[in-house]
Amino acid sequence: MAFITIAPPAQPGSLDGALAGPAGVSEPTTAPAAGRRHLRFAALRLAPSHALLIALALVSIFPIYWMFVTAFRPSSDALSTNPFPGPLSLENFQYVLKTIPIAGMLANTFGMALTLALSQLLVAILASYGFARWDFLGKKALYLLFVGSWLVPFQVTMIPNYLLVSQLGLLNTVTGVVLPQLCSAFAVMMLRQHLEAFPKDLLDASQMDGRSSWRTLWEVVVPNLRPALAALGIMLFISAWNEYLWPSLIMQKSDALIQVGIRGFLGAEGNNWGAIMAASSLACLPIFLIYIFLQRYVVDAFVRSGLK
Amino acid sequence: MFIETAGPAAGIAPAGPAGLPATRRPTRRALSPYLYILPAVVLLLVWTYWPLGQTVNLSFNDWNLIPTKPKQYVDVQKYAKVLSLPELHQALINTGLYILAFLGISVALPLVFALLSRKVQGKARTAYQALIFVPFLITPVASSAIWRWLFAPEGGTIPAIAAALGAPMGNIFRDPGSSMMAVIVIVGWQMLGFGVLVVSAGLAGISPDYAAAASIDGASGRQITWRIIIPLLSPSLVFLSLMTILLSAQWTYPIIDLVTQGGPGNSSTNIYYLLYQFGFRNFDAGLSSAAGTLFFLGFGLIALVFVELSERLSFYDN
Repeated sequence: MAFITIAPPAQPGSLDGALAGPAGVSEPTTAPAAGRRHLRFAALRLAPSHALLIALALVSIFPIYWMFVTAFRPSSDALSTNPFPGPLSLENFQYVLKTIPIAGMLANTFGMALTLALSQLLVAILASYGFARWDFLGKKALYLLFVGSWLVPFQVTMIPNYLLVSQLGLLNTVTGVVLPQLCSAFAVMMLRQHLEAFPKDLLDASQMDGRSSWRTLWEVVVPNLRPALAALGIMLFISAWNEYLWPSLIMQKSDALIQVGIRGFLGAEGNNWGAIMAASSLACLPIFLIYIFLQRYVVDAFVRSGLK
Repeated sequence: MFIETAGPAAGIAPAGPAGLPATRRPTRRALSPYLYILPAVVLLLVWTYWPLGQTVNLSFNDWNLIPTKPKQYVDVQKYAKVLSLPELHQALINTGLYILAFLGISVALPLVFALLSRKVQGKARTAYQALIFVPFLITPVASSAIWRWLFAPEGGTIPAIAAALGAPMGNIFRDPGSSMMAVIVIVGWQMLGFGVLVVSAGLAGISPDYAAAASIDGASGRQITWRIIIPLLSPSLVFLSLMTILLSAQWTYPIIDLVTQGGPGNSSTNIYYLLYQFGFRNFDAGLSSAAGTLFFLGFGLIALVFVELSERLSFYDN
């Protein structure tokens, strides 16, 4: 549901008036002059809403803005509280690049997040297709496994998982971080909702054309679900990138991933805020780039996940 | 959401091609759904359900995580011990407080914000939402670093403002009275925008016809909000509340680990951080597993109650 596009026509005085409440309803909007007055009135009435949203946006953005401002300050005025950046300096970033292998960390984390997103997507496509297309014995019970896994917090199973990864000899490796997360029950449930809504006629037609269920999946279903898959894939990537608990357990003696690498850097640098902010902005950079270019997909996927 | 779709969804599925008379190779067709879900089920069993069983098993044993040392069966001793630990009581109370705080920050406040700002539409709305959502995407190491800097006693923006206002503050993370508040501020900053967007999307999904019809019948704006909008929104709100209750302890975990390590003196810890400390700091697998099993059962019970509640309370728009 792209709620951004659903927004009803914001014609003050017409449909909107009814929604807006008593003031809008009581005012007749027949004469053009009255309509114009209403327009101005509506704009005034919206002022508190705008003020509220502006305040909310400022609270949301200021800390991030401050991170960048601090990161780009020359170290000579690191503790400056001047809200506007003075002369920009790359000094902090150079220091970070010199001190920790951050490029490698970013590359490793990128590879980890991409692997996870793709594998979770693939596993979820297969499973949700199986669930949505057929009725079979034990379907309800099997689906309950996925729903139920939502109730098993990772912290409850982390010791056995840790032991298993350690028995496989994968402690302090990116593989050890990836392996237990290859399947996302959440992705299966999200995709199943999409697939339940998929037009059955298309599936029937594809079957009549003589396609096997496998070819139907890849030639009919997946191409038609591309936007949903893209949104879900981006969301899985971001979640994998931001995942903290498991990497922090598995990578205790390695700083190959950004989460643990930066954590170590934070501990070592103490109050060197310029450098810490530079490292932090680098840790967020890929997500910001994704957000800037694919904002609608990102918001859409995450908001849908929280929507009943 | 998921819990409820499980019911009706099963009823929808037979409409698929499987409902057609199976002509060719019926056995292979009967197998195919299982083959499609096999990878997911295997992964889930290996990495979620088998470990869950292991956790239950470990909870009856005394073991320090060293592979060469044998586990020793101790019956329910670990349960008895963990239930009597003051750390557990503290963590439970803290988790309850965290949940209350986030019910406010990610459900109640967003509801108020979304209702008050729902008349703002079009490009302005898109722009606000784009900005409000950003904190949700910040990786935990970065958000904890940002806020440690904002709260830093030397040069931090917030203490500077507080001092200018004549209310100097110390190190918020080192004071048992405020460390939990610090965690709530950081995580709340990340969750607030998410909540606003979810509630706004829920609002946008409610047909304006209802409000229009009610206002023709003479309903006031307040009546429309309380009698129509909020009941229609209740599925979203119930779901958001359930997520908040189940996940608050997970949302706060990274920030607790990165900023306060549960301290000072367990003042900001939560139940999941306690599991980590029992298991990976004290190397008491049995204790951690016993507590984990109890938390799993507790949250499972809460989720069941919620599903029951939402079945009874929810109003559906169809």
